[in-house]
Amino acid sequence: MSFQEIEHTADRAFRVTGRNMADLLENAARAIQAVNGPRTMGKASGTREIQVEGVDRESLLVNWLNEILYLEQAHQLACEQFEIVELKNDHLRARVETRSCGQDHTHIKAVTFHNLEIRESPEGLEAEIVVDV
Amino acid sequence: MLGRQHIERVAEYVWEIPKTFRDDMRVPARLYADEGLLDAALDDNSILQLVNTTTLPGVTRHAIAMPDIHQGYGFPIGGVVATCLPSGVISPGGVGYDINCGVRLLVSLVQVEEIKPHLEDVAHRLYANCPSGVGSCGHLRLSETELDRVLQDGSRWLLDNGYALREDLERTEEFGRISGADPTFVSDRARERGRNQLGTLGAGNHFIEVDRVAEVFDEATAARLGIYQNNVAVQIHCGSRGLGHQICQEYVSRFQKAVRDYGIELPDRELVCAPFDSKDGQEYFCAMACAANFAFANRQLLAHMIRRSFDEILTGKVRDFELYQVYDIAHNMAKIEEHETSGRAVPVCVHRKGATRAFGPGSTVLPNDLRDLGQPVLIPGSMGTASYVLIGTKQAMQETFGSTCHGAGRLMSRAKARKIVRGTQLRQDLTNRGILICAGSMSGLAEEAPIAYKDVSQVVEVVHKLGIGRKLARLEPIAVIKG
Repeated sequence: MSFQEIEHTADRAFRVTGRNMADLLENAARAIQAVNGPRTMGKASGTREIQVEGVDRESLLVNWLNEILYLEQAHQLACEQFEIVELKNDHLRARVETRSCGQDHTHIKAVTFHNLEIRESPEGLEAEIVVDV
Repeated sequence: MLGRQHIERVAEYVWEIPKTFRDDMRVPARLYADEGLLDAALDDNSILQLVNTTTLPGVTRHAIAMPDIHQGYGFPIGGVVATCLPSGVISPGGVGYDINCGVRLLVSLVQVEEIKPHLEDVAHRLYANCPSGVGSCGHLRLSETELDRVLQDGSRWLLDNGYALREDLERTEEFGRISGADPTFVSDRARERGRNQLGTLGAGNHFIEVDRVAEVFDEATAARLGIYQNNVAVQIHCGSRGLGHQICQEYVSRFQKAVRDYGIELPDRELVCAPFDSKDGQEYFCAMACAANFAFANRQLLAHMIRRSFDEILTGKVRDFELYQVYDIAHNMAKIEEHETSGRAVPVCVHRKGATRAFGPGSTVLPNDLRDLGQPVLIPGSMGTASYVLIGTKQAMQETFGSTCHGAGRLMSRAKARKIVRGTQLRQDLTNRGILICAGSMSGLAEEAPIAYKDVSQVVEVVHKLGIGRKLARLEPIAVIKG
């Protein structure tokens, strides 16, 4: 498993791993979709490019995940496939496959920076991410 | 690791972690709790999170935790931190993503027994008329101009457009409108997320609840607020929806760089902040005030929809079912207030993250008819358990920057609650106890099971005995609409 839910009293949290930063970002996106819970899915709606800026790799991670939540909550587009196509210290560009989705009872309000640190791990990299629900 | 050995007992129910605990603390951390609630707080990272808030530049007196403290992100939930103005900081994480999440209480003169035969119809109509879920849309579609008015004027826009009574605004914190709101500092994305969400409940622990006034502790004061035993009451618990989430996200992200520019070092990146009088601080405050106004308006429109639902179901069947507003309070907010520090009143920015304003008698910011009483304080319990109405006190003004607790406080993680509670079984159990449940998500229902929360009565008893909130009435649920 590239992600696992961990205990958090009020909100929800998960540990995510990746072989490298791009892998970590993609796995974290999958984790967000899983934590967000099941919802009604519609038709595939094509490929979309996402660009995100950040002051370091932690802020890139948070801003990337918040971008995915934004697409879902503002445009009812669930992201299914993730590919990081360009990655720098302060910038990333990704392609995502999207599918229309319902206004269901999804959980996550936002991804937080709480105690966030991307660390070296036996798998490559790991991070613990807390989301507000 | 922070343990019981680091905590000093200052007085009954008052505990302190002294400044000497950690080099980066600017003031002591103070926790209000009985022994049991203190032990519960030590079970997770909430007290460590409280200690972290003592490092914020400009923090004054103590960082405070209420008895319902539990682990959040950045600030603990149940935290109160005041920073001296003008140069003390404002922290978006100290308000949280659901800016001006709060509670509104409506009461009627009708007794519960009279509406019981129609309760199922009322509950289903409430569920239909008050959309729930994180991304849900409301019945009102706002133009750009109308949205600007809501952001600037909050509940006042709803009054001007026939969705509020003048008395509703009188009985709302800040009269339903925080001054200083400037939509210029609200992004297109935040506007986009909020435009169709006015009058929606959201998800998580948000709810609409039909209650019975189960017990009145002070009949004379309760009567002044229209609260009588066995009568019907309705609570609304929700906030600023996607608009507030987006504003907080954007400023927390932006302040990751700002703290470097200001040379502010913090133990947790979710605590990022900026001096209140800086461009960054001012712009966040203007945007936060917009979200706060949106939240007041959201609860106002929900109150309108609740009144309409009662009308649709009860007209011709029951008399005196009109709903009057007792009060509307915020429990996630940064407010500019004057409080006594070193014997004189000074302006401070009070962050209340899961804490309620509880201004006492004599406060000049209260409407005339409440000034001799103090401010009504609304403390919702966990689903299926009691809620309380308190009244603010002078003691709270002196001790806690005019603040008190905000609810029961979580005890158990959502993951664990989902493991040991089945939503469908919980709904059945509550139904067997005479509590109707309408919920969109059974896993969401399981997460909010009463077993996952502290005992709200124990929390309220502590604040009552401390004198930072005085018990007025206890409510018990008869129908719950869950986000």
